[in-house]
Amino acid sequence: MSEVILKATNVSKLYGKHKALDKVSIEIQRGMIYGLIGENGAGKSTFMRTIMGLISFNEGEIELFGETGVRGLQQSRRKMGQSIETPALYPELTARENLRVQAANGGVGNREIESLLQLMNLKDTGKKKVKNFSLGMRQRLAIACTLITNPEFLILDEPTNGLDPAGIVEMREIIVRLVKERGMTVLLSSHLLDELSQVATHYGILHDGKLIRELSKEELARETRQYIELETTEVQKAVVVLDELGIRDYQVINGTDIHIYERLDDVAKINRSLVLAEVNVLRIGTTRQKLEDFFLQLTGGTYRA
Amino acid sequence: MLNLLTAEKIKLIRSKKLWIVLSIFALFPIYQVANSRLAVHYGTELNQAVDTVINGATGVLMIEKNGLTILLVMSAFISFFIGEEFQHGTIRNALSLGRSRTQYYLSKLVVASSLTLVGVTLLTLIGMIGYSMVYGFGEVAGIRDYVPFAIKSFSTLYLLILANVSIYVMISFLTNSSGSSLIWSFLYTIGTGFGAGIFQQTEHFKHITFWFTESFLFYSNFAHPADIARFPEMALVSLITILLTSAIGMVKFNSTDIK
Repeated sequence: MSEVILKATNVSKLYGKHKALDKVSIEIQRGMIYGLIGENGAGKSTFMRTIMGLISFNEGEIELFGETGVRGLQQSRRKMGQSIETPALYPELTARENLRVQAANGGVGNREIESLLQLMNLKDTGKKKVKNFSLGMRQRLAIACTLITNPEFLILDEPTNGLDPAGIVEMREIIVRLVKERGMTVLLSSHLLDELSQVATHYGILHDGKLIRELSKEELARETRQYIELETTEVQKAVVVLDELGIRDYQVINGTDIHIYERLDDVAKINRSLVLAEVNVLRIGTTRQKLEDFFLQLTGGTYRA
Repeated sequence: MLNLLTAEKIKLIRSKKLWIVLSIFALFPIYQVANSRLAVHYGTELNQAVDTVINGATGVLMIEKNGLTILLVMSAFISFFIGEEFQHGTIRNALSLGRSRTQYYLSKLVVASSLTLVGVTLLTLIGMIGYSMVYGFGEVAGIRDYVPFAIKSFSTLYLLILANVSIYVMISFLTNSSGSSLIWSFLYTIGTGFGAGIFQQTEHFKHITFWFTESFLFYSNFAHPADIARFPEMALVSLITILLTSAIGMVKFNSTDIK
C-alpha cells in the first residue's frame, strides 16, 4: 500500500455561522495528482490553507506524512511547498532574489536557484523586477519558489488562473513533469473540471464546504465516457435489436433514450439494423457527457464558476 | 530564526524603505544643525531646555530632540514592512514551511529593533559631529562624568523608542494591513504623546501618563538631574511595555487566520 501523505478526517472550519468546510475527509497517497474541484467559495482554498496551517480549523484531524499534533505537523510542512491563490512574491525583487529569500526561509542553500530558473523558463529575466513580470511569469516563479526546498508534497491553488491558453498548457506540462521527474505528490485546485482532468489522477468535488464525491481518473472517464445516443419511440424493440447485435453495454435512460457504450464506430450498422427491424429511430449519434455537465449534475446545477 | 533573519536581510537590502529611513536619520541632523545656525534661535545662543541639543556634548540627546520624528518614521516603516507581507501573501511562504509564528514575529521585531538602533545611532553620531563642528563639543551643564551619562541617556532613550517599536510591531500583526497599521500607529503615537500633555495638567491622572513611554520621551529633559534620576523607571516602563506588547502580539498572531 502506498504511503499516505495527507489524511484529513472530518475537517470543519466555521466563519461565524457559515461552514466553510463541513467534515471534509480526504486521503492523498504518494504519487497522486489530486485535483480539488469546486465552484468559487466551495472551500478549496480554505481546505488548502488549513492543510498548510495558515488557518485554524474547528474540528477534525489532519495527518501529514503520518504526523499529527502541532510540532509533528510543523515538521511535516517542511517537506511541503505551496502556492495558494495569487502568486506570493516580493514585487521589488528579481526572480533570483525571490528564490534566495525562499531558500533562506526554508534553510536551504542557493544551489537549486539556477536550475529552477531554467526549469521555469525564467533564466533570462536578469535584473527585471517581479512587479514587471506577466502573470504567467509570476505563476511560474511562484511554483519555482515552492520547489526551492525540494518538497515531496506540492499544494497549488488554481495555478492556471489568469493564464492564456499557451500558459495553461505550459503550466500543465510543468506539473506533470514535476510528478514524473521529481516523484512529487500534488494537490491542486481549479473550478474547471475540464482543466483538472488533463493532469489529475484523482478528484475530489467540493460543494458548499462539503466533499460530495471522490473519484479516480478511470472512474471519471467511465462517468463521462463517450457513447452512442439513441432516441426512439420503441425502446423495447430497439433493445431486442441491440441484443441480437451482441451489444451488452448499454443503458436505457428513460422511455425514449438508450445510451450504448460499446462499438462506438458502428453507428451506421446499428442504425441499419434498427431500421431493418422497423424500429422508429428519431436520432442516433455518438456523444460525450461534458465534464462540466457531470459537475453540474453532481452539484445540483449550481455551478457558478 | 537565523534562516528567517537571513531572508529578512535579503529583502531589506533591496528595499527602498530601508534606504529612505536611513536617509531621513542621516539627513535630519544635518538639516537641524544648519537650521539652528541659520535661524539663530533665541538671539545668538541656543537654549538647552528648549532646543535640547545645543552643542556636540548634548548631541547625545538627538533622540530626545527628534522623538516624534523617529516614532513617526519607524511606525511608517514597520507598518509597510510587516503589512506588505500580509498584503502580498508572502507571509504564507515562510509560515507554510513549518516556521513557527513566534519565531516569525520575533524575526520582525529583531529587524525593526536593529534598524531602529542603526537609525538612532546614525542620527546621534551625525548630530554630535554636526553640532560639534558648528557650536563646539562643549559640555552638558551639571554633568561631570560625561561618558557614563552619554551611555545611560542614549540607552534609556533607545529603550523608550524600542518600546514604541514593539507596540508598532504588535499593531502591524494585529491589523494585517499597511494602511490600518499606519493609521493606528499614528493615532497611538499622537494620542499617547499629546494626550499625555493634557492629563499631566491634572494631579489625579498625571502618574498614569508615565505608564506610557511617550510621556517620558516628550515631557522629560534628559539633561536635568531630576529626570536623569528617573532613568531606571523609564527603562522599567520600556521593558514592561516590550514584554507585554510582544506577548499580546505573539498570542494574537498565533491565532490569526492568514488569508
